Amino acid sequence: MMPSDESAAEPQVAAPPAMPQSVKVEKTFGLPAIGFCVTQGEAATTLFAGMSDFAVHRIDLAAEKIEAVPIGQERHSSYVTGLVRAGDNLVSGGYDGALIWWNMASGEVIRRVESAHSKWVRMLAVSPDASRIASVADDMTTRLWDASSGDLVATWGDYETKTPHDFPSMLYAVTISPDGRWLATGDKTGIVLVRDLATGEIAARLETPIMYTWDPKARRHSIGGIRSLAFSSDSTLLAVGGMGKVGNIDHLEGSSRVEVFRWQEKVRLYEIEDNKLKGLVEALRFGPGDAWLAAAGGDNSGFVTIYRMDDGKLAAQEKVGSHVHDFAFGQSPDTIYTVGHNQATILKLA
Amino acid sequence: MASNISGLGPQKNGLSRRRFLSAAAAGVTAGSVADMTAIHGLRSEALASELKKQNKRVILLWLAGGASQFETWDPKPGAKTGGPFRAIPTNVTGIHISELLPELAKRMQHTAIIRSLNTKIADHGTGAALMECGRVGDPGVKYPDIGAVVARELGRLESKVPDYVSLYTSTEGRRKGTSGFLGARYSPMFLSESMTPPNIVRPDIISEIDHHDRAALRDVLAKRFTTARRNQAVDSHMSAYQRVHGLMASADLFDIEREPESVRNRYGSSQFAQQCLIARRLVEADVPFVKVARAWWDSHGQNFETHQELCADLDHSMSVLLDDLSERGLLEHTLVITLGEFGRTPGINASLGRDHFASAWSCSLSGAGIRGGVAYGKTDDEGQRVVEGEASAGDLFATILAALGIDHQHEYMLGSRPIPLADFGTNPIRDVLA
Repeated sequence: MMPSDESAAEPQVAAPPAMPQSVKVEKTFGLPAIGFCVTQGEAATTLFAGMSDFAVHRIDLAAEKIEAVPIGQERHSSYVTGLVRAGDNLVSGGYDGALIWWNMASGEVIRRVESAHSKWVRMLAVSPDASRIASVADDMTTRLWDASSGDLVATWGDYETKTPHDFPSMLYAVTISPDGRWLATGDKTGIVLVRDLATGEIAARLETPIMYTWDPKARRHSIGGIRSLAFSSDSTLLAVGGMGKVGNIDHLEGSSRVEVFRWQEKVRLYEIEDNKLKGLVEALRFGPGDAWLAAAGGDNSGFVTIYRMDDGKLAAQEKVGSHVHDFAFGQSPDTIYTVGHNQATILKLA
Repeated sequence: MASNISGLGPQKNGLSRRRFLSAAAAGVTAGSVADMTAIHGLRSEALASELKKQNKRVILLWLAGGASQFETWDPKPGAKTGGPFRAIPTNVTGIHISELLPELAKRMQHTAIIRSLNTKIADHGTGAALMECGRVGDPGVKYPDIGAVVARELGRLESKVPDYVSLYTSTEGRRKGTSGFLGARYSPMFLSESMTPPNIVRPDIISEIDHHDRAALRDVLAKRFTTARRNQAVDSHMSAYQRVHGLMASADLFDIEREPESVRNRYGSSQFAQQCLIARRLVEADVPFVKVARAWWDSHGQNFETHQELCADLDHSMSVLLDDLSERGLLEHTLVITLGEFGRTPGINASLGRDHFASAWSCSLSGAGIRGGVAYGKTDDEGQRVVEGEASAGDLFATILAALGIDHQHEYMLGSRPIPLADFGTNPIRDVLA
């Protein structure tokens, strides 16, 4: 998902640090289910999250006791794995292949596209002007939707439906560049496609083969894939997140891995592996001015890590109680909200 | 077949050649068993002979590491423990299975699902041993696994093909299989490094003519030798030679290139599918027991991603196998089993994984001796426990034997100790038997 809209007026917004020296857990609260995706609401104190109870939840951060409450009466029929804010609406996608447009304030369903994809919807992205929604799914298509009408604008294939070892592939990640020109997607086998959002033409094909994690001998399956993508604010850098080589794919024991590309030049700027806090990098966001990159994910435990973009080195890191599936910046990126395994966390950068 | 309920039929005074050879071969390697001439069970040779004539066969699809019952045979959509997958209807009214098995859902008429296994042991090694042998280990006895028991009960001494073939080419959790007190004669031909047996192909430096001439010369010399010195050891040695010669002749069974391209394409390119094709070739050639292990289902992390991959492999491979067996008229003689060491927890851990769980899980039986289109047993709404038809590993073992027409209460005599084929107190699940 894209960083949340920063236009909503809030009286006290801390200035984001130019280069965070630390990231610390400020508060942790429970979720009623597994949180897979999160986006900020219009108010700085409101989050929305898609969860494993098939619902989209509203989280009021200003409440004395922070709780996640399902919005409206309707639900997906499987896990909710993609959620974006488009103007006054939310759009969610789930493992049921459906997309649902919600009135953010009332929780009413505005539109439901039951068969948006024939397989799991893995992630959604919204264009900066909130006019387009992109969805990726395990039918290995990327679909572009008119955010207002819900009309399908385009469908792009271009991915193999099977892995090189003849197993079903998966299309995990999508993001749209801040200038609204480019759409990037990443699959299980480590293939990144960057395409022109207006024409659908592929502008670049990048490869991150280590993230595939195929085990040819001991267990004969894979566990990794590209799980997260983020463009820098000037749209020239593309960060790709997943997991590095893993000895035992029964568990998420591989190093967390980020590769950063000058994608138009097809130059891999950084290969970053962290063996201290391991597992999948599930979400990535660039900080202000692209000075740093925030990465979150985990194995059984979770992490939030800040990488400097002048040298690709670790700037700050914090362990989070359980695996992080997604995070959103607050209205100023000195605050990070994570959602994960029955738990959400508020972290502060300093 | 008629059963010998007590297993205490009249014991013949003399040892038959078959008994003798079996025991002698076993005795060579089963050092822990003092008197291997006594393992032969007590029942009539006529019954044993009739059983073998029925040509029953087994293909065990061993889901090594433990597949999730939620993502295969016992889905719980909408439950907190159910995971993200839907249940889909099968071609048998009222039976739903995971959406990850769409092809098998179209073939449920062949299959009985058992959803009520409570096998208690959730450790890989001991769990696997339990499910393979149908009973908890005993320090004083090396029990044979199901493959060895079937090989002994259904194999033919004169057969030139192996009685028990086990394919396990992944390295994780690899288990060879054990013939226990039945002895090496019933040990599996174990293929771990490739899909063809090593060292059974005639070396290129020996011509086909030389190969036959050598065998003929050996026969002449051996007959002359045995005429004067007939004893158990010599007979066992002769039997072993004949058997190895037969195995060399069976090398082609492992070569799927001998199948028409259309058949190979139908099975596809996954290693598991190709091993299923080998299994079909082997049972077609009267190999009584073939185990094909598909590792590794131990999905402590990313259970749903793992099952998307592995269930696709299982769904395709097993569906093609059932079709192929059916079209060749082999399915009514061949029991196809899916089984692992245990199932997976209802709870979903922080890595989106499921851990080991043996209290309420599932397996499937298809084909020979099975009443297809049956879902036996029931777990509660969250899959936490069995609420109907609880079955133990021993009950499953007895059910498999019963489906093959083998009396599960038949006893081997280990010295003076009677050991029933299935553990004491176990019973076949009659509802899944044809």
